[in-house]
Amino acid sequence: MINKYRWWEMLLIYCGITLLLIFLLAPFVEAFVVSLRPIQALRSIPYRFITENMSFDAYHSMWKSVPLLWLYMFNSFMIAAAVTFFALIAVIPAAYAFARFEFKGRDGLLTAFLAINMVSGAVLLIPLYKVMKQLGLLNTYFAMIAPGAAFSIPTGIWLLRSYLLKIPKELEEAAWADGASRLYTLRRVILPIAMPGIVVVAIATFIGAYAQQFLFALTFNSVNELNPLPVGMFQFFGRQTIVWNELMAASLVGILPVLIVYIFLQKYIVAGLTAGAVKE
Amino acid sequence: MGRLKLDNIHKSFGSVEVIKGVSLDIPHGEFVVFVGPSGCGKSTLLRMIAGLEEITSGTVEIENKVVNNLPPVKRGIAMVFQSYALYPHMTVFENIAFPLRVEKLPQAEVEAKVKEASGILKLDDRLKHKPGQLSGGQRQRVAIGRAIVREPSVFLFDEPLSNLDAALRAEMRVELAKLHHDLDATMVYVTHDQVEAMTMADRIVVLDDGKIAQVGSPLELYHRPDNIFVAGFIGNPKMNFISVECIGATKDGMKVRFAEGSELELPVVPRKGMEGKKLTLGMRPEHTNLEERDVNLHITPNVIERLGIHTVVYATFDVGGDPVSCLLPGSAPLKIGESLAISLNAEDCHLFDPDGQAFRRTGELTEIDESLLTHE
Repeated sequence: MINKYRWWEMLLIYCGITLLLIFLLAPFVEAFVVSLRPIQALRSIPYRFITENMSFDAYHSMWKSVPLLWLYMFNSFMIAAAVTFFALIAVIPAAYAFARFEFKGRDGLLTAFLAINMVSGAVLLIPLYKVMKQLGLLNTYFAMIAPGAAFSIPTGIWLLRSYLLKIPKELEEAAWADGASRLYTLRRVILPIAMPGIVVVAIATFIGAYAQQFLFALTFNSVNELNPLPVGMFQFFGRQTIVWNELMAASLVGILPVLIVYIFLQKYIVAGLTAGAVKE
Repeated sequence: MGRLKLDNIHKSFGSVEVIKGVSLDIPHGEFVVFVGPSGCGKSTLLRMIAGLEEITSGTVEIENKVVNNLPPVKRGIAMVFQSYALYPHMTVFENIAFPLRVEKLPQAEVEAKVKEASGILKLDDRLKHKPGQLSGGQRQRVAIGRAIVREPSVFLFDEPLSNLDAALRAEMRVELAKLHHDLDATMVYVTHDQVEAMTMADRIVVLDDGKIAQVGSPLELYHRPDNIFVAGFIGNPKMNFISVECIGATKDGMKVRFAEGSELELPVVPRKGMEGKKLTLGMRPEHTNLEERDVNLHITPNVIERLGIHTVVYATFDVGGDPVSCLLPGSAPLKIGESLAISLNAEDCHLFDPDGQAFRRTGELTEIDESLLTHE
């Protein structure tokens, strides 16, 4: 490839990238540094990046000050995984139908799905609470999983549909001519080809569910054992003090599952984003 | 066996009628080519035979059974698509085996059949590869392999060679003709390339705007086109059309006058009452001569293409200014802008009435076996 930038243009580009990265990563760096500091050194003035007695003590002590921490983490992971699973069960057939079939009101429905995305879950919190109460579902895992799954379905359908649209129709016609049923074709032909797209949807849903569960858990759940990590972390808020260093340590450990999922599956994301680019 | 019969087939998309009554009887083992310009409905017709497109009215019979409402697999057809439609995530073996897997045949039988097909198509060393690792010609052969293993009574090809380069296309043409001979199956082949049609077909079906313009053997279409459309479509370079004036019918032909005044009697079945009417004379570029024949016409070349064996001349008539193309010997002494006389044989010419229908030619057709002209 021909390098078409001059040296000072490259310099500007890298400055821009650095600025953006600093902006994005500073909170994480600060959280990490705070988690290493002893609690007394947190509010030292003037601000110093490196303080004395930095250690990983908070990463040990947090398990003792909040004994159920591991359970909260497990709940978070489990809820996000369940949301992803149920959302995919709905998204895959729906996206296929929207991509392939002509039916009345298809475009209207798609627009409606897009419109739903504009309404945040917070607006529907009170009505949802009443529904959950009527159905006797408050204080269950279900109450935290179902709304999360429902809210991530529209985005999932849009994402996967556009991926499925890129798969040539002739593949299905060929399978149909060879005697395969719709479902057989979906299972043996479409799903394997669409796998990168499905993984992208799954990751987006998982990360979304991991981030949004706070709201639903706070509203629909008051059983301590069922709480996910964001709600559970309130227990670091004492009557007089907030144990900031342990709180930050717990937050960072809590982000870890998402980070690991992302690292393992990112090659799929890249593959998914570039798959259609060079198709003959 | 693979007899295919179409009876008054119609197809409409909404209010637009794309197939306007097609009837055709294809006996077992014939290689039939549907040819026509894009948008003439040839692919739609093929897809209706395949069962991928619903039939608005009329019937399709395969092996004397009406198949209008049967899914493709029950019709006993196999189709090869223009884009090959190979499954990118499966190996060549699994691609060819796909129809057999759908049928849930035992593994041993699947392997035997795939081996047989890959042997015919010379794909034996490629069975473990994915389609992405194959060349265009090999992909095409995999697509054909997937059709062969089904042992269908009718093969349908939808422009299978149009994605290949010219050299490969010529090679695959020969292979397909050989395959047709070896498999003894009925084949229906859609193309817009008249060279493919002429070289492979037992019979060509020329389609024009949803209707059959003419059905016949390649040489029949070349020598006895029924109308201007077929005359202009078959043959390369295209037939020249020259407007002439009818000056009357004789016992064994029609007399016409060219714009520059010369007259010619054409050996065709005469029709009375055409005097004074504007007719169209059809003249193939390869039937123009520099030596003196029955009538001379004067032209001025604009572009001269020297191909070695031939010279293609694009010119205009000195009188009237209509364009004309000629295929002359490679060493023909021509210069751009220098007028010359070309000469025609009366029996090489075609004549069309104002509706575009041909006058039936009666003249001796230059040394052609009559059996090649009528296909039975």
